[in-house]
Order: sequence, then structure tokens, then C-alpha cells
Amino acid sequence: MAFEPVLLKNVGVEGSRTIRVYESRGGYQALRKTLKMTPDEVVEEVKKANLRGRGGAGFPAGVKWGFLPKDRKRTLLCVNGDESEPPTFSNRVLMEHDPHQLIEGSIIAGYATQSQVAYIYLRVEFHEVFHILQRAIDEAYAAGYLGRNILGSGYSLDCYIHRGAGAYVCGEETGLIESIEGKRGWPRIKPPFPAVEGLFRLPTVVNNVETLSNLPHIMERGADWFTSIGPPHSTGPKLFCVSGPVKRPGCYEEAMTITCRELVERADLGGGMLDGRKIKGVLPGGVSMGILTPDELDMKMDFADPANYGLLGLGTAAAVVIDQGTDIRSVLRNVTHFFATESCGQCTQCREGTAWMDKVAHRMERQGGRHEDADLLLETARNMGMMPGLSICGLSDGATYPIETIVKKYRDELEAAIAAQPEGRVQEVLQAVN
Amino acid sequence: MAKITIDNKEVECRDGITVLQAALEAGWDIPHYCYHPGLSIVASCRLCLMEMQMPHPKTGEMDWAPKLLPSCQTPVKDGMVVRFNSETVKKNQRDCMEFFLLNHPLDCPVCDQAGECYLQDYSYRFGRAESRMVDQKTVNPKKDIGPRPLLYSDRCVICSRCVRFTREISGTFELHVTQRGSRSEIDVFPGRPLDNPVQGNVVDICPVGALLDKDFLFKKRAWEFRPANSICPGCARGCSIRIDQDEDVVYRLKPRYNPKVNDWWICDEGRFGYKYIHDESRVKGPILRRGQSVTRLLWEEIPDILRFRFQEHVEKHGGDKVAAVLSPFMACEEAWLLGRFIREMAPQAALAMGPVPLEDEDQRFPVGAKGEAVKFEISKEKCPNRRGVEAILEQAGGTVLAFEDFIEKAGADAFSAAWIVGGYPKPWLEKAVAKKLSGKSELLVVQDIFPNDLMAEATFVLPACSWAEREGCFMNIDGLIQPFDWAIHPPDGVKRDGQYLFEIAGYTGLYSGKRVRELMAATMPAFAEVLAAPQLAAHAH
Repeated sequence: MAFEPVLLKNVGVEGSRTIRVYESRGGYQALRKTLKMTPDEVVEEVKKANLRGRGGAGFPAGVKWGFLPKDRKRTLLCVNGDESEPPTFSNRVLMEHDPHQLIEGSIIAGYATQSQVAYIYLRVEFHEVFHILQRAIDEAYAAGYLGRNILGSGYSLDCYIHRGAGAYVCGEETGLIESIEGKRGWPRIKPPFPAVEGLFRLPTVVNNVETLSNLPHIMERGADWFTSIGPPHSTGPKLFCVSGPVKRPGCYEEAMTITCRELVERADLGGGMLDGRKIKGVLPGGVSMGILTPDELDMKMDFADPANYGLLGLGTAAAVVIDQGTDIRSVLRNVTHFFATESCGQCTQCREGTAWMDKVAHRMERQGGRHEDADLLLETARNMGMMPGLSICGLSDGATYPIETIVKKYRDELEAAIAAQPEGRVQEVLQAVN
Repeated sequence: MAKITIDNKEVECRDGITVLQAALEAGWDIPHYCYHPGLSIVASCRLCLMEMQMPHPKTGEMDWAPKLLPSCQTPVKDGMVVRFNSETVKKNQRDCMEFFLLNHPLDCPVCDQAGECYLQDYSYRFGRAESRMVDQKTVNPKKDIGPRPLLYSDRCVICSRCVRFTREISGTFELHVTQRGSRSEIDVFPGRPLDNPVQGNVVDICPVGALLDKDFLFKKRAWEFRPANSICPGCARGCSIRIDQDEDVVYRLKPRYNPKVNDWWICDEGRFGYKYIHDESRVKGPILRRGQSVTRLLWEEIPDILRFRFQEHVEKHGGDKVAAVLSPFMACEEAWLLGRFIREMAPQAALAMGPVPLEDEDQRFPVGAKGEAVKFEISKEKCPNRRGVEAILEQAGGTVLAFEDFIEKAGADAFSAAWIVGGYPKPWLEKAVAKKLSGKSELLVVQDIFPNDLMAEATFVLPACSWAEREGCFMNIDGLIQPFDWAIHPPDGVKRDGQYLFEIAGYTGLYSGKRVRELMAATMPAFAEVLAAPQLAAHAH
């Protein structure tokens, strides 16, 4: 059975951002259907579909909704559009080309959880997306999909966009909540979990943009259709990003049955390497999941298989391809630098560990590596806590997996590079760096 | 009461507290930076992580959880089993200490915190001997953040205690964290320095040498102090303090934990208000004036001379011509001894209460808080013992006057012998009042710490001591009686008020607050309880 894209079906259609085109292509029908069901029926349907969160952790959305206390009076919905994982841009495509799909999904989630307000948290760099989304929200209000008594159902939902201030850690759900509250994006200690006490101390659900964009299709076509796509643990369509020196970098929709190699090389996906270049490695799930060597590219891009390759998980399913001409030390340094600047600074291990690893990687990149540095990086990564972590949030796990996998899988290359350094270079670099 | 097991030992603990609190209270030494009992919990330093038993998700059997959990954030539950002595927990502590010290300048020899620094203590006990980082350290700058504290960002461990203090206790919100990752720094907003009446506390709660007191900067090493437990005389709240002194010089005051009064805090007014005790202009040595001639007396002669002069006066003019003004800066014991002496000499003598320095309003923190939300209070009454002296006057009975009435009567020649006690840190005798009292008394005893306008005509001038040199008890505005110890010796030639009043009142031997309270307890049972009062716990870190 050929895979039929649904999430991206409106991408490339003239005027896809407008409510007129969205409705003409079947938009907001799922919402009409949903509003005739009871909220509990909607939750059940989503649980049945086994829709796992697309933000990175893969937690089932329906189960997450089920954690809300039964006797709650108010509920808030946060839409996580802080997409900050380095090679990831699928949420951006969804919001830029099909904002109404997200709004419809948010209203369905809002109805299922009986939320009164939905906050769409956008990373600040999404300037254009902000204007597109705001226009779409205004259109949805005008058409009666948002606001008081939606489509005569008696259910009301308000929707606001909150723009972040540029922090990776605000994509962590409690960091996001703090940020919406106007505070520094320091993730909260749990418990209490957001479902019990979240935004403004009210029960809160935080869902990723792609997760919510799946909801109209689940409601329209049913949970059985959804579970018919992909393996049982990874159901439904999924957006994949490919970037790096490939012929067709971009965002593609596929079932979670494809392998990493297919994603990079299939003619209708990545299209293979540019100008006959060779693959040195692939970071298949955003940088924070870890790296795959060319031998490991048959890893399935689903929620279960990455663990077999020493990776943290599927992550954002955004593969960045590294070609043979790239020095692995530069890759290492690129990764460490990102996490050193994005660690929020709250927990000791993450704050100090990311910066330390960055210093070591920077020195190695500048030809100042020592033979003990590889072991030092591995030990620091472990001391920072790797699944199970030692910190408040999962950022430090994400910061250590790429380092550990790069050092372990490319150790020979690192050692060779260090051996090839000129005599006395280490001392020189030690004085020059920082 | 919950029963939990820590390191195979069963511990009984109060309900509702956290495992860290339970362990600390039961005598465990668990390292921690971000946790402070007076502030909210952030669980960010990750030093107090522990292992805990949890039901296994599949088998349901109790087993050690695969993850280390913050003990500061985990509430105790009956039957809970935790451990801190496992290799995993110790390894985390060791790793954390390595992380904390990576960018630390290790400038202990020039750091004021040395000796009372939790980076030092923990790295000795839980850390490793050397750093494995060969790269250059990240150096965050030294910053002047306000009039009192100085911030050394390079020594900071980002525990955020100071930030939480300004949010939760002072309610002034000056401090925050800027930057991210290991560049994180504590800072103030532009043009809004850390400047509030309780800011000195951020230095106390800083577990390392990041926040230091400009007033104390480079003055003394912490291990040289011989501290004494005392009560702040700055206002009627009576906060528990510790006087840090060496060789009879007071260098700083620190709060002592007292849940009944001040918790962990004191105000800057109290903290820095002690400077007057080392003032050069203090009254020294007892003086006897006969006409124009002034004689320096020996302390040994004074009780006999004074008794003789008062007896003589009462025989000549009658007992109702005698009056004494007690000061709200006196300890209860001193006030009682003086009252006793005066009434022994002349049972009809009038006793009066000196002026009570008042400011407009009490100050409450967090700023704007009311009722239950108030965490710290500064009284508008700027003396430590009005209620104590009042209680003693009340018990003494007979003629008891307000200060205004005393002046009125004295101005109308009602008294020919008077004993006036001062002891105020600031000038207290207004010119007009002094003028009214001037030339009215044939026998005038003035007991004060600083010279006042009546001293020029006083028959006897007795030097008073500051509270840091005295011993006794104060009754605070809520009626709580709190004993305090002497910290330093009085200046040369000066004797403790308590001691000479003890002798003047007819007792022999060494004065001690406890000894006098035993005597007082016969008629004032409230003071018997002070005798038995338990020693308060030291400052809880």
C-alpha cells in the first residue's frame, strides 16, 4: 500500500494558509465530528490510536491527557512550537503552510481535555510563522471555530500565541510553562507534573505541534486507520527532516517503517548524497539522540529501534548527514557548543559538564587534544547522568548522548587525529583557547 | 510521626518534612547548597541526591529505584527506605564537587568566606583532591551590586538562595540570574541595586564566598572569632544573634535561628547598628563630684558611698523625694537590681520609665505582606526591653511614673535625689528636658554610655556598658523573655552594669543573669521559665 501523506497534503497548495482553502480541502470537518462526541470518547479514540508525542520523548498523548485530575475546574493547553533542536524544521513547515491544521488539532485537544485556553508557544525566531499563525487564528475566531460556544456546541476556547525569548530549554514542557508565566525558562522540579499543577498552577497539557496536527486526521478517519500505518509501537504518519549534503534536503512524511538509509538515499526522500560524496555518519533524531555510523544506517526510524544502536530515542526524527570530508572533531565541537550555550544553568551537572566538554572539544578541534581526552569526555558524560539522568530535566541526557556515541563510535579517528598533532601543540592551544 | 529508614537505621521524623530535613535533624551530614529551610525548594544543586526503595514497576517488589532522587524535594512517607551511604550516592557527590570547583578560582587565602565555606567543607569531605580540567577557567566578573554586599561571580555556585531571598523574604525582587549555562551569573537590573533593609542576609545564606559583606571585607578570618550568643538590641523584636568578636573587638553580627522571633534573618539596622560600642567618646570610669571638684572613684568604694549618700538623703528629706528613671535598654536583671536598691533605700520612692524611642511604623517583609504572609518584622520601637522594664516596674508597685510625668514633677521640685539611667546608642535626653531637670536634684546619679547634658551636674557619673558587654535577658514586644551572653569585656575602667548594680543592691560575689533571675523568680515566676529555657540551635545552614 502506497503511503498517502496527510499532514503535508496541503503543503504546496496555493493559498493553503487561508481558511477558505483549508475548508475547501476538508478542513474543520473533523472538528464538527469531534464536537458531537463526548470529551471522554475523544480521549479514548486518541488512546486507541496510540498517538505518541512527536516532540521527542514519544509519550502517548491520550495517556498524558488521562493524568488530568477528574475534579478539575480549569484546564490549560500549551502548544509546544518551540522547535529548537538543531536540524529540525518539521513544525515550522506545518505552521507555515498549514496553520489551520494545527488550530483544528488544538481545538480538538482542547475539547478532549476541556481546556479553556490554548497557548501556542512559538520560538522567537519564527517571525513569519507568528504572523501567519496569528492571521489564521483571527480567521478561525471570525469563522466561529474559536471563542465562545464553538459551532453551537457549548464548548469555548480562546487561543493566544506566546513568543519565547530564544532558549532551547523552553521546549521542555515545564521550561515552556515558566516562560509563558514570564519567568526565566528554568524547568520545574516534578512532581507535581503539569497535568496536576502546570501553567498558572492549573492543570495543564503540553503537546507538540506535530502531535496536535495529527488529531484532525485521527478524528476524521478513525483510530483504526491510524494504527494501520507503521508498526504497533509507532503508529501513524510521521514527519522526517533531512539535511546536510544530500540531493533533496527537506521535510518528508512517511510511515515509521523506513530506515535511516532510506530517509537519506531514497529518491523520493533525501535522494542520496550530493556529488558522489560519502556518508561519514548521520545524527538521525536531532543532535541530542546520538550518531549512527554508515554501517548502522539500517536502523528503523521508529520509537523502539534507536535504543538498539546506543541512541537515546527517535527524538525529532530530523536526520543531519555528515560527509566524509568533515573532521569528526568539528562535529563534536559543534554539538558540545550548542549544549554549552543552551544549558539553562540550573542543575550543576548540566551547567558545568556541558561547558567543560565544550572546552575539551574546542581544544581538540584546535589540534590540542590529549590522549586521555576521549576517556575524559566519556566519563564526564556519564557523570552528568545519562538515562536515568541526575538533573531536573532531560536536557543533560540529550547533551551527553551525542558526545558519548561520537566518541565511542569514532574513537579510532579521534585517536589518529590526536596522534597526528604537532609536538607541543597542546600547551600552545591551552594558552590560546578561551 | 513517620518512621523512615536511612542507611539501615530507623528514624522517627515529623510528618510533612522532606527526607533531607529528616536526615539533617537526625544527625546525618548531607551536603546541600540550594536547600535552605527558610526558602522554597528548587532541587538544583543535585548534591543531596539519595537512593530510595520503590516498588518495581513489573514485579511490584520493593527495590532500589534506578535513579537518584533529590532528598530535599522528596517528602517523608511512613515506611520509606532511603540511603546516602551507597557508592552511587557518594560518587554523585564527588562528581558534583568536581563540577562545582571546575571554574572556581580557588582563592581561599584572600576570600572572607574561608573557614566557614561550604565549598571548602564539602570538597574536603566529599570531593576529590585535584581538578582534571586543564583548560582555562571561565571567569565571571566581580560586581558591585549594592551598598552592602559585594558579588564575586567567579565563586558563585548558582544555588539561587539569594535570588529566592529577595523574592520570598524581602519581597524586593532585586536579584536574578542572567546568562545561561556556566556563564550564569547573579545580577541586579540596571539602575536598581540590591538595596533593602534586610539585604545583609544574602551574605549569610550564601554557602560560598560569592556574596560578601563590604563592611566586613578583608577585616578578619572567620576562625579567629570567639563568638557569643546574644539578642539584638536594635528594636523590640529581639532577634537572636551571634556576636563575632576577637580580643574584645566586635567585627560583625550574624543571625541565629530562632523560630519564635526571627527565623534565620536579621535586619541591616541591627546587623550594622553595633558600631557605637567602640566609640571613643564613651563614658569611662565612675566619677564623684563635690562642688567644683571631680574625683575618680574606685569601683570598690562605690556601693558603700552610694548607700551612705542615699540613706543620708532620705533621713534629711524623706523617702518620697527620691526617684529613679529606668531605661528600656537595661536588662531585666539590672532594672530589677536598681529598683530593689532604690526601694530599699526609700520605699516611697518614685520609679519611672525612660523615653521609648519610636519610629513611625513597623516594617514587615516581604514588602507589603500582611498577617500570615509576614516572614520578618522590624519593630518601630527602637529599644530591646520596654516590656521587661515595665514588668519589673509593675511588680515593684508603689509610685510608678511615665517619663513625661516624671519630668513634670521633677520640674516642680518634687524630687531632690534622682538616679537616671540612659544607655541609648543615640542622644536621648532632649535639651529642653535636660534644662527642666537641671539644678533640681541635690543627689543626682547619671548612668549612661555616652555623655549627656545632665552629667555636668551629676553627683555620681556611672559608665554604662553596651549590650555586647553585658549579660541578662530582654523581654521582646511579644513578651518573650530571651537571655543573652556578654561577648566582650567593657572598655578599660568600666565595670558591667549588672555587676555594680548587684553590689550596690547589697549582694556579694559575681553577678550572673541566671543568679539574679533565681532571685527574681520568687516574685516573678515568668523568669523561672527562662532559667530552664533550652539552648537554641545554632544557625541552621
